[in-house]
Amino acid sequence: MVRLTHSLWVRMMSVVLIILAALAPLLYLGVSRIVEDGYQERFINSVRAYSRLVADQLEALDAAEFERRAGAVLDGVVLSGQVVFAQIVDGERKIHSSITPALGAASPREDYTFGQSPDQVYYISHQVRRPDHAVVLRLGFDEIPTSERIRATQRHVLLAIGGFVAVSIGLALWLSAVIARPMVLLQESAKRVASGDVHVQLQSHSSIREVAELNLHLERMRQELVGTNEQLTREIAEREASEHKRLTLERRLLHRERIVALGTLAGGVAHEINNIITPILLYAQMALDELPASSDLRADLQRVVESAHRARNLVWRILTFSRQSDTQAPSTVFALRAPVEDALALLRAIVPTNIEVVFRCEAEGVQLTGDPNFVQQVVFNLCTNAHQAMRRDGGRITVTLAAEEDPGEPQLRPGRYGVLEVSDTGEGIDPAALPHIFEPFFTTREVGEGTGLGLSVVHGIVESMGGLITVRSASKLGTTFRVYLPVAVALSNAAGAA
Amino acid sequence: MIARRIIVLLLLLGALAEAWPAAQTLVLVVRRDSPVTDLDSVTVRKLFLGVPVLINGTPLRPIRNRSEPHLDEIFLQQIVAMSQPSYDRQILNGVNRQGWLAPSEAASVTRVAAELNANPNAVSFMWERDVAHNPNLRVLRVLWSD
Repeated sequence: MVRLTHSLWVRMMSVVLIILAALAPLLYLGVSRIVEDGYQERFINSVRAYSRLVADQLEALDAAEFERRAGAVLDGVVLSGQVVFAQIVDGERKIHSSITPALGAASPREDYTFGQSPDQVYYISHQVRRPDHAVVLRLGFDEIPTSERIRATQRHVLLAIGGFVAVSIGLALWLSAVIARPMVLLQESAKRVASGDVHVQLQSHSSIREVAELNLHLERMRQELVGTNEQLTREIAEREASEHKRLTLERRLLHRERIVALGTLAGGVAHEINNIITPILLYAQMALDELPASSDLRADLQRVVESAHRARNLVWRILTFSRQSDTQAPSTVFALRAPVEDALALLRAIVPTNIEVVFRCEAEGVQLTGDPNFVQQVVFNLCTNAHQAMRRDGGRITVTLAAEEDPGEPQLRPGRYGVLEVSDTGEGIDPAALPHIFEPFFTTREVGEGTGLGLSVVHGIVESMGGLITVRSASKLGTTFRVYLPVAVALSNAAGAA
Repeated sequence: MIARRIIVLLLLLGALAEAWPAAQTLVLVVRRDSPVTDLDSVTVRKLFLGVPVLINGTPLRPIRNRSEPHLDEIFLQQIVAMSQPSYDRQILNGVNRQGWLAPSEAASVTRVAAELNANPNAVSFMWERDVAHNPNLRVLRVLWSD
């Protein structure tokens, strides 16, 4: 109820109704009084003039004919319609009209105002001078027709005022609706904005200037709110992306530090083992050379030499991972495609027939700086891992060569990179194992099936070439390795100039 | 004792006679030596409506007696035979359109008598009983009688 009484529409209607309730009776009373006064004044004026005229007429009558003509004059007066009583008093003698009964014949008193007496007859007396004496003319005028006209006019006034009030209320209803409707629309829109739907446009379409300006200002406020909201949302998204990026970098940094620590440890161990293996291999080879061809010991020494070679090979791989290898070839500029194709040729010879090897070259002429053997090693190791993941059910290994300008990886400097992508359709890598795959000696295979150094060596080679390796794996869908290697500087500059 | 009772009774009768409303008669008056001898009702009406009325080439001067409200009502009903608004309109009309003079007005009987005494051509109306107190005035005719 309180909410209803506080609404604009109800208040406006209340004001109109109060004004009408106060003014309509005043208007009716005022107009009624004017009507009443007007009719009464007209009545009094006419009856006074008429009675005076009759008196003058009687005064002008010839004395000889007065008796005979007086009655006729009184009849004529009564027949005029307004007079209900006509009498001439001549001392004790009274002459009446022959038409009317002797109404008020006793002694009607003089009236001076309309409705003065309850008999509803207005009495007027006039002295009529005769040659020898004076007589009195008494006339009574009927007030009822004038009263009825006054009442009828008052009814008409009442009807007119009633109509005026009804039309005023109708107009007030319409006007209040016209004024209040845009405000209600504005209020509903503002409610929706307040509830979070800030994209609702505030449009009240009012022709009232104040309401239109209010709408305009609220719409501007809404637009500013929308802008601020969008800016805040954008900033929050940027901050979340930045936080995500920071966490990723932190995780990669930790991973890298762990790999470096492992590499340092493995490299130190490998150096010591290499120092031990070298005399073993050297002396075993010398002993083998000095033994006659028929000696039974040759086979044993041959096994010692072969084992020493395998051990050296292992040491070399560990050193490669830890980037402490002292057997690196001098850097040369080479085409990326060549070592990749060499590695794939070797690979096709060893993979079973249920595994398809596909090579795609999307960027010709990509040249790198470094040792092409390293690239060959990278391709070989990645593909070996891939075919071992698919050796039971078969599948497809896809090797793709491409080139990208500023790949968008945060660890890479801006520039042009050759991209080597190796993907398979195998089982994928367990998400729990994914963070550890580049760690040396980490393997998911059975004991004796792998050393756990393949991906470590790849990681070491890529890092030594200033590149980056990423991995994306999905269970049952396969794994994709992407290797980014910086292109040769001269060529990169030439490409950038082009 | 009886004489005292008679005196008291006489005093009471005297008081009653004073309080009993006497019959009122309205008369048209002029100064005793006024040249005006008679005026009929139409001429009286003309006079008080501002219409110039000449007697021996001299205009008569009407004086409206406004000493009592009742007298005013009788004046409007019996002499000019009009309502108050109509009479006011008529006077204004005569003054503004015809250049007639509006009747002068006197707020008391004394003032009426003084004006009548000052002007032999002045004509006014008053109660007959008031004329008795002014021996210099003369009754022209009876206008109205209760």
